Amino acid sequence: MKRTVLVFVFLALSLLLLSAGKIELLFWTHEDPNRTEIENRYIEEFESMYPNVTIKRVTYPSRKIQETILTAFAVHKGPDIFNMEINDEYPYIVNQRVAPVDPKAAGYDSLQAIYDDYLAGVLDPVTYNGKLYGLPLELTNWCIFINKKYFREVGLDPEKDYPKTWEEMLEVSEKLVIREGEILKRRGFDFRYPYYLTFLVPMVEQLGGAFLSEDGKTAIINDEAWLKVLEYFQEWGPNGRNLGSPTYTNARKLFNKDNNSVAMCLTGLYQEGRIRADNPDFYNSGEWMVVPFPRFKDAVNDLGSAYYGHYYMVNAESSKEKQEWAWKFIAFMLNHPEEYLTKVGLIQPKKALIESDIFKNIPYADVFLNDMAKSHIITIHERAPMMQDYLKEVIEAVMLTRTSPKVALRVLKMKMQELLEEEW
Amino acid sequence: MPRKQKRSHRGIERKKAIWGWIFVSPSLLFFSIFSFYPIANAFYTSLFKKDLLSLRPPKFVGLKQYTYLLSSPTFWNSMKATFVFTMGTFVPLVVFSMVFAAFIMSRKRFQKFFQMAYYSPAVLSSVVAAAIWLLILDPRGLANQFLNFIMNTPGIDHKWLATVGMVRFSTILVYFWKYVGYFTIIFIAGMASIPRNFHEAARIDGASSWQIFWHITFPLIKPTTLLVSIVAMIQCLKTFSTQYLFVQSGAPRSPIDVITLNIYFTAIRDHRIGRASAMSIILFGIMLFFTWLQLRVSRSEEVSYM
Repeated sequence: MKRTVLVFVFLALSLLLLSAGKIELLFWTHEDPNRTEIENRYIEEFESMYPNVTIKRVTYPSRKIQETILTAFAVHKGPDIFNMEINDEYPYIVNQRVAPVDPKAAGYDSLQAIYDDYLAGVLDPVTYNGKLYGLPLELTNWCIFINKKYFREVGLDPEKDYPKTWEEMLEVSEKLVIREGEILKRRGFDFRYPYYLTFLVPMVEQLGGAFLSEDGKTAIINDEAWLKVLEYFQEWGPNGRNLGSPTYTNARKLFNKDNNSVAMCLTGLYQEGRIRADNPDFYNSGEWMVVPFPRFKDAVNDLGSAYYGHYYMVNAESSKEKQEWAWKFIAFMLNHPEEYLTKVGLIQPKKALIESDIFKNIPYADVFLNDMAKSHIITIHERAPMMQDYLKEVIEAVMLTRTSPKVALRVLKMKMQELLEEEW
Repeated sequence: MPRKQKRSHRGIERKKAIWGWIFVSPSLLFFSIFSFYPIANAFYTSLFKKDLLSLRPPKFVGLKQYTYLLSSPTFWNSMKATFVFTMGTFVPLVVFSMVFAAFIMSRKRFQKFFQMAYYSPAVLSSVVAAAIWLLILDPRGLANQFLNFIMNTPGIDHKWLATVGMVRFSTILVYFWKYVGYFTIIFIAGMASIPRNFHEAARIDGASSWQIFWHITFPLIKPTTLLVSIVAMIQCLKTFSTQYLFVQSGAPRSPIDVITLNIYFTAIRDHRIGRASAMSIILFGIMLFFTWLQLRVSRSEEVSYM
C-alpha cells in the first residue's frame, strides 16, 4: 500500500516538474491560406528555438472571428494572442482587456524605438492613454482590380478607359454588364458589402461630408453629401440601373475565378497573393491590373478608400510570463515583413519595408501606397461595429426596400445621435 | 380494507414514490442547471446595464431595460417580424404535416420511402439548410430558373432576398421545408396509435376516405395535434439561423429581424448584455403564454379509445 502511494506521489511530482516552465500560448486568427502556411512555419521555428513554448494556432472565418473572441473574452477565456480589424479590436483596448506591448520582450530597447520602426501614425489607433496595445500584422486599403479581357471584349481600352470617377464607374459598368432579363450574368463592378466604414464613408468625405464631427459628438455631417451618395447607391441597385446588389455573391470572391461573372472588384493588395494561389494561370496571364479608388467628379477632397489595420494583441488576463512570451513570439513573426508581403500580400507598415526594393517590385504596390497616402484610417470608435451596421441598414433600405434616401438618412441620423449620446 | 393491509399498501406506494424521486432527480438536477438557472440568471442580468467587454461592475437599473424595450420601435419591429414569421410558418407546418401524414398512412407501398424523403431535411443543421437555400435563392440560382420555367417568364428576378415580402417568404419557405417532415413523422406516430378496427368499421359502414379522416382520424389525433402545435410554435418563435445567414448574405435585416436575431445583435454587436437578457425574458414569457393557452384550450379535448 505504502509503495503504491510512494509511486503515485513520485509520478505526480515528475509530472509537476515536467509541466513547470512549460508555456502554452493560444493564438486565434482569421483564415488566410497563404498566411497559415508561413505562420505555421514560424511557429515550428520558434518552438525549436524555445522548446519550453508550445503555440496552438486556431483559425476562424473572418466574418465569425469577432463573435468567437468576444464570447470567449466575456467569460474570461480569451486566447493569449489574437487579431481582428482595428474597429473590432478597439473596444478591447478601451475596456482594458489587452496588455500593453512589452518593448523588451518584443526585441526593442524602448517604446520609442517601436514607434521609430513604423511609419508615422500607424500605431496611433492602438495607442491609448500613452500606452501601446498592439503591433500591426497588416495595414490595408482597397483599390479596383480589373479584368482587362472583359474591357477589350466590349471595345474599351483598360489602360485608358478604366473608371476614374464614380460617375464613370456607372457608365463603364453599364457597358460591361451582361444581363438575362433582370438577372445579372456578369457584373461590371460591385462594392464590397457590408464594409461601409472602409468605402462608403470615404465616398461621403470626397463630397465634403463626414460620419462624425471632429469632436466625435455629432453624427452625419453635411446632408447633401450623404444624400448624393445614397442616391448613387439607389441608382446602382436592383431598383435603379441594376448593376449590382448585396444579395449577389461577393465580387471579390468571384474575381479570381476569371469565369465571366465579374469584371471589376474592390479589394486589397492581398488579393494578388490569393489570385496566385487560386488561379495561377490568370495571375500569370497579365490580364489583370489595379487602379485607384475612384473619386466623385465634383469631389472636394482627394481621398482613397479608408484603410484599416489588423493588430496582434495579447490578452491582459494571461499570466505575466505568458504575456512576455506572447510579445516575443509576435515580434518573431513580424520580423519577416518581406515574406508577409511577397507570399501573402500584407503590408506591414515598417519604414524599412516600404522603402525596400521588394516593396517597389510588388505589382501595383505603388497604386495602393499612393491612395493610402491620400486617405486616413477607418473610423475608430468604441461603438464602430454598431455604426457600421447602421450604415448597412441605410444602404439596404435605399437599394433593396425602395426607401427614399431622405427618409433613410433621417433614420440613420437619429440612430447615430442616440448612440453617441447614450451613457455607457 | 383492513387497517394493516392499508398500511402496507401505503408503504409500497411510499417506497415507489421514493424510488421515483431517486430516478427522476438526476434529470431534475440537470434540467435545473441547464434550463432553470439560465432563465433565472437572464432575469437577474436584465436588471443591470452591462457592457459585455467591460470590467466595471454592472449598474443596477431595475426594470429600465424593459421600459426602454417597450418604447423602442426596433423592438416592436422585431415583435412584428416574429409574429409574421410564426403565423406564416406555424399554420402551414401543422396543416401540411397532418395532410402529408394522412397521405403516407393511406399508401400501401413506399410508406418508408415517403417517410424518409419528408424527414431527410430535418436531419440537416439549420445552418446547412439555410446555406443550401442561399445558393438556390441567389439571383442566378435554381429558384429563379425554376419559377421562370414554370411561369414562362424568362429573365425575371423574383428578388427572393431583396424585397420585404420576398425575404419574409423565403425564410418561411426554408423553415417549412426543414421541419415539415419532422412533424409529419410525429403525426404518423399519432395516427398509427389509433386502433385499426375503428377505420375498418367505418369502411364497412360505407364511409368515404374523407369522412374517415374528418370524423375518426382527426378527432382521435387531437393530443398529437396539440403536441405538434406547441412544439411547432415554440420552434417558430425561437427561429434564428435562417434569418442570421440571410442577413449575413446581404438580405435586409429589418423585415426578418425576429426577436432572437435582435437578441444576438444586441448582445454580440452592441455588447448590451442586460438589454439582450431582457429581450430573452420577454421571449420566454411569450412562449410560456402560448404554451399555457394551447394547453388550456385543449384541456377538454382529451381522447380515450375506450
